[in-house]
Amino acid sequence: MRIVIMGAGEVGRHLCQQLSLEDHEVVLIDRNPEHLRRVERELNILAIEGNGASAKVLEQAEISKADLFIAVTDIDEVNLIACIMAKQYGVLRRVARVRNKEYLAADSPVNEHRLGIDLLINPDQVMAQEILKISRVSEAFEIVDFAHGEVLLVGYHIKEGNPTCGITLADLRALKGLYDFVVVAIVRSGNTIIPRGSERIQADDRLYLVVQREDMAAVEGLLNVRSHLPKRVFIIGGGQVGLEVAKGLEKERVDVFLVESDVRRCELLAEWLDNTVVLNFDGLDAQDLISEGIDKADLLIAVTNGDTTNILASLLAKHHGAHKCITRISRPDFIPLLGKLGIDVALSARLVAANMILRFVRRGVILSVATLLGSDAEVVEFVVSERWAYAGNRLKSIHFPLGANVGAIIRGGDVVIPSGDTVLAAGDRLIIFTIKKAVPMVEELLSS
Amino acid sequence: MKLGTIGAVTGWLLVFLSVALLLPIGFSLYYHDGNAWVFIVSSLSGASLGGLLAWSCLPGREIGHREGFAIVGLAWLAAAALGALPYYLSGAIPSYLDAYFEAMSGFTTTGSTILERVEILGPGLLFWRALTHWLGGMGIIVLSIAILPVLGIGGMQLFQAEMPGPTKDRLAPRIQDTARILWGVYVLYTLGEVILLMLSGMDFFDAICHSFATLATGGFSTRTASVGGFGSPLIDYIIVIFMILAGMNFSLHHRLFKGDFKAVIKNEELKFYLGMGTGATLLIMVVNYLSHTYGSLGESLRFSSFQVWSILTTTGFGTADFDKWSPVCRFALVTLMFIGGMAGSTGGGIKQVRILLFWKFTRMQIRKLIHPRAVEAIKLDGRRVPAEVMQSILGYLSLYLVVFVVATLIVTGQGVDILTGSTAVIATLNNIGPGLAGVGATQNFAGIPALSKVVLILCMVAGRLELYTLAVLVVPEYWKGTDLPRWRWQGRRG
Repeated sequence: MRIVIMGAGEVGRHLCQQLSLEDHEVVLIDRNPEHLRRVERELNILAIEGNGASAKVLEQAEISKADLFIAVTDIDEVNLIACIMAKQYGVLRRVARVRNKEYLAADSPVNEHRLGIDLLINPDQVMAQEILKISRVSEAFEIVDFAHGEVLLVGYHIKEGNPTCGITLADLRALKGLYDFVVVAIVRSGNTIIPRGSERIQADDRLYLVVQREDMAAVEGLLNVRSHLPKRVFIIGGGQVGLEVAKGLEKERVDVFLVESDVRRCELLAEWLDNTVVLNFDGLDAQDLISEGIDKADLLIAVTNGDTTNILASLLAKHHGAHKCITRISRPDFIPLLGKLGIDVALSARLVAANMILRFVRRGVILSVATLLGSDAEVVEFVVSERWAYAGNRLKSIHFPLGANVGAIIRGGDVVIPSGDTVLAAGDRLIIFTIKKAVPMVEELLSS
Repeated sequence: MKLGTIGAVTGWLLVFLSVALLLPIGFSLYYHDGNAWVFIVSSLSGASLGGLLAWSCLPGREIGHREGFAIVGLAWLAAAALGALPYYLSGAIPSYLDAYFEAMSGFTTTGSTILERVEILGPGLLFWRALTHWLGGMGIIVLSIAILPVLGIGGMQLFQAEMPGPTKDRLAPRIQDTARILWGVYVLYTLGEVILLMLSGMDFFDAICHSFATLATGGFSTRTASVGGFGSPLIDYIIVIFMILAGMNFSLHHRLFKGDFKAVIKNEELKFYLGMGTGATLLIMVVNYLSHTYGSLGESLRFSSFQVWSILTTTGFGTADFDKWSPVCRFALVTLMFIGGMAGSTGGGIKQVRILLFWKFTRMQIRKLIHPRAVEAIKLDGRRVPAEVMQSILGYLSLYLVVFVVATLIVTGQGVDILTGSTAVIATLNNIGPGLAGVGATQNFAGIPALSKVVLILCMVAGRLELYTLAVLVVPEYWKGTDLPRWRWQGRRG
């Protein structure tokens, strides 16, 4: 597939990396030659310098041969215009990143349908939704919806002293009683393990389980992690993400404190928010944080634009007694450190946005995709159709590529732990774990 | 500032009022009260005086920011001077000061009277009394803007100076159209009330006089016993409903007619207004019932709701002598007197929105003590209230207090007792009508000394024009650099 990407920002670079690894022809357009040179050096792609909203540049990128056009520059209007032009060149599918919420509203005069754009995404909004989802389950660091939200993939961090340390998964299974859940992956010091029953849980493991939404509370009890809706939440950084998260939490009657260092921005925030206390000081000012009661906070969400500020603010708050933190990170370089530093949840805007685009790109056979932060694994959800070549076969007769594994099967609302003898029926949803390199092969297998 | 402009516009306004003075003639002739000549003479003198003024003063090119205040202030004083003529000429009110008081009380929709018995006026003058309410309620200037093309340019200055409330809604791009919309709504409601009152047994004359007085939140009745004289619960409740409507912002009515219910339901000031009226009604109803003022809860509801809405909307109609109610009820009513209707309504008082914003401001100050670094915004209907508006409201409240104290000092200084004197000022400053004790619901203002009457007249205008418009006129700096009028016989310069 030939893919033209416009904008070599964070999202653009991440998409280039993903898609070129999956062996697509990727052309990247950007105005800044420095950005291009760096990406071109690292990845196997074609880079073109110029403004993507110009016909000349698009023709230079041989746009008419492309199957997919992704516009992810920082300027909404450029993205929209470029997508409209791409349509004229006959590009099949077009994706644009748009920050202005007016373009995203269903009743807007210029929403995606009217503009002929297949997917409009707002990374900030997607990220805010992700944060809200995680903040509702205070102990999990990652939650992915499957089967329209009935089944969840949840990630838990097993801390030292947790009674489940040292227990094998087989024992855990015997303990579980009536609840349906499967441990589908363990991330241990950066490596993703697809565990067997004999695997022992160790301290500092990150456990990924597939569980029905209604059983979550029971499973958390079993793992000795308890979740409750936070009562007191501090948000550091009043940008788009901070604002959206505050709005969402406000509705759930949570006490929200939003810290922002810019006075003008504070005034706007105070106007847009109803019950949130908007505080005007630096998120790294311990004195002010303590006097506002950071020590009693259930959750700290650090979403300024600076990674260092976010990390430091999270650490500071945790030091003073905040229970849990969600930290926004844009540089991938820091990700391996975060677990060691004691940051509970790290989210990357570019990953979140790129996930959404990847999900869209692979739409067809695969329902959803999630990239797990801090590991090289991806999770895909796939529905077995009657026309699929392997429908009705035993699992062991299907040769999954190396590094890919069926973690769970959702059949009629129940979570089934697959064994080699499980027969796949039409309508089953497969939750497949795979390392990134194996994604194209998995795709091929699933489309046969 | 150009005095010529002020003279010309005031002249036009007097001519315009002279036309209105012809309207009561119909009733005078129909009921043979022998006052038709009074209106003809008043109208002719008004028209000739106004015409001369308008003809001789050459107006400037447009009405400026500063002229606006003077025009509105002087126009109101002049209108009452002309409006007092019929009372004086007919001999019904022998003192011109009393006649002026009655006329100003009419135009400012106050409804305080100096008459022992209003029936002696006769139908023609009673209709004129109600008509002054109706003209003053939505504003004589606003009406003129709607009708007279001369006021088109710079009309916004006048509109700003006359319409109540800290912020003004502009319903249409052109100010004339906004004025026409407001008057259209006003006329429509008046017709509606006339029809309903006639269906419930009033004759046409009583119905139209009471409708004028209700929609303008005025309070002049055709009977000394006010609405209570009709003794009909149905009439009481119809008038309550129209008082509530008249105390609402008229641009909300316009939205209702356009089908924009969402904006109306979400309006914070409306909720505050309805909540306050309902709460006060319940409180007073229960107290009146428990203190055996009324025998049944239904009767208590009827009289309590009528007096509460009559006072809150600053209408001043009465169906009961609340001076005989228990102290808590009387105090509650006096508190409501200060608050008044919504901004953009025909009601007087401080206005609901100012009280609401003041409350929000106070709450913010307290929260600031708890979270010293917090940044907060005062919001109304989800939108930030600009700092200038907030400051003007705080200034307004303090000016209000000063005017109240000074006026009460003068009135009590002339030997009027505290309760009578202070509630007389409250009743006129807030354009309500009756106060307590000596100026209570069944009493009148006849016994107030002359100087105090002048003070109360000024209170009425100050209250109707919301203090600032009149206050700026007494500041010497305002009159600096005034151009004397250029008369027509001098010709245009250059």
